[in-house]
Amino acid sequence: MPAVLEFQDIIKDYRALFRRRTVRALDHFTLQVEEGEIFGFLGPNGAGKTTAIHLAMGFVRPTKGRGLMFGKRFGHAATRCRVGFLAENVALYHRSAENLVRFYGALNGLHGETLSRRTAEALDTVSLLHESNRNVAKFSRGMLQRIGLAQAIVHDPDLLILDEPTSALDPLARYAVREMLLDWRRRGKTIFLSSHLLSEVELVCDRIAVLNLGRVVRLGRPSDLLESREHFEVIASGIPMDGFPGAEKQPDGRIRFLASAAAQRAMIERIWTMGGEIVSVSPHKRSLEDLFLELTGSPGSERGSTQEAS
Amino acid sequence: MKHLRLIGMIAINFVREQRWPILVLQLSVLGLAALGLLSDARDREDILITFKQLGMYGVAFSVFFGGSAIYNERRSRRILAVLGKAITRRDYLSGLLLGVALAAALFSLMLGFTGTWILCPLGFSFFYLWHLMECVVAACVMSAAVALFFSTHLNPWMSALLTGLTLGMPGALAFRFGGFWEYILPLYSLGRVFLNASFEHPGTVAGWVIPAAMIEAVILWLAASWIFDKIDVAVAVD
Repeated sequence: MPAVLEFQDIIKDYRALFRRRTVRALDHFTLQVEEGEIFGFLGPNGAGKTTAIHLAMGFVRPTKGRGLMFGKRFGHAATRCRVGFLAENVALYHRSAENLVRFYGALNGLHGETLSRRTAEALDTVSLLHESNRNVAKFSRGMLQRIGLAQAIVHDPDLLILDEPTSALDPLARYAVREMLLDWRRRGKTIFLSSHLLSEVELVCDRIAVLNLGRVVRLGRPSDLLESREHFEVIASGIPMDGFPGAEKQPDGRIRFLASAAAQRAMIERIWTMGGEIVSVSPHKRSLEDLFLELTGSPGSERGSTQEAS
Repeated sequence: MKHLRLIGMIAINFVREQRWPILVLQLSVLGLAALGLLSDARDREDILITFKQLGMYGVAFSVFFGGSAIYNERRSRRILAVLGKAITRRDYLSGLLLGVALAAALFSLMLGFTGTWILCPLGFSFFYLWHLMECVVAACVMSAAVALFFSTHLNPWMSALLTGLTLGMPGALAFRFGGFWEYILPLYSLGRVFLNASFEHPGTVAGWVIPAAMIEAVILWLAASWIFDKIDVAVAVD
């Protein structure tokens, strides 16, 4: 599959005018997003997710390294015709929903009948067609996020870059967006999704990258990332609980415990020696939250690599 | 053609977003009309002074519009949704400058029509009145280009301060030495004709001053585009 989005060894430093302090947002950041996949982009606050997205959109320039979008350098205006973007904090002009979506569609080269049709379709997709004449200044936060999504999809882009697209949505709207993303993937579109909603990412994404301190610390398919090769889950029957540390009794009377890969064989032999029966031995599957916490450190801590400039 | 369409859209959007200050300016011109209707011929000098004042307000507002246009968009983060579309930063900046020029043209048209209605019956030359409007538009566009240039990388206050210094310095040199300096950012030359105009001696600006102001506005726009293309627009300028 060709890469739709490529970050090639990018460093991004922020330095305020007249100040010595430099903040490194991305540190030798390398990543490829392939055509037709939903790519989940995870990381704690300050990990550099939004900076990476802003680089891809051409809003900020890399300090070192380079990036390509559809084979063109980041910031190439004509290429953005093929991209739909929704920012983390939706900020749009105050006018009717229809006029707003028309304005952004026209900026991407749509006009005439096509613009009218695509505007109505986009509003319908986000369930705001009945609110098309209402000024977006009067919209709730969830509605704003939906109108933001409408302006991102109005020109039928090949790549959707979404920064926290469902953070303000209720469960019903969140489900609708998830279905929309899956439908877009079926149509061969690529989606780059940054989100803190781990369950959502786990449900829809084909691949996930976890970012911490400006670096990719883990990359892969959710099933591969969540399956541990270091620990196995053993379920057995006909043995006492006390011989196995951390063992717990299941409602059906079976015993369940985790064994490290190194101790796995010894544990199985021990169960047999004790006259027990092994029901199953399978790789231990963690939740995405467990993996996230393992990779990014203690929960709730604010990150960001700060260096004093020399 | 596609670029012109995008620039036009940004310009019209700018005017739409600034509609309230523009409306206040237009209403202040209508106030001049009301003053004219209530006065008699003996007050004509007072009306002319008010007319000149309003022209200078137009220039001041252009500096304000130019100096805050990018800042407001960046601070509100609305710039992200616009620059996330297939539009170059140069086109975006061109749209903003055209938007300020449109606002200045709207203001000058209103001022010109009001002047024609109020001042011409009192004896002011119709031809010179519209020549003065040309000077106002040129001064507005050039001042806005200077302010826009500084606002690409500075906040509105710093931008306004440096715009004042940049426009004032050649003005002081032109006042002292004249000649060549009359054509460098010629706000002084344009303003002098406007402020010295009277019923008896309306005066005109030297032939090349308005074209020089427009050429310098284009140079400033190119320089601003170059700088704007290099900076991070997603970062606040405070």
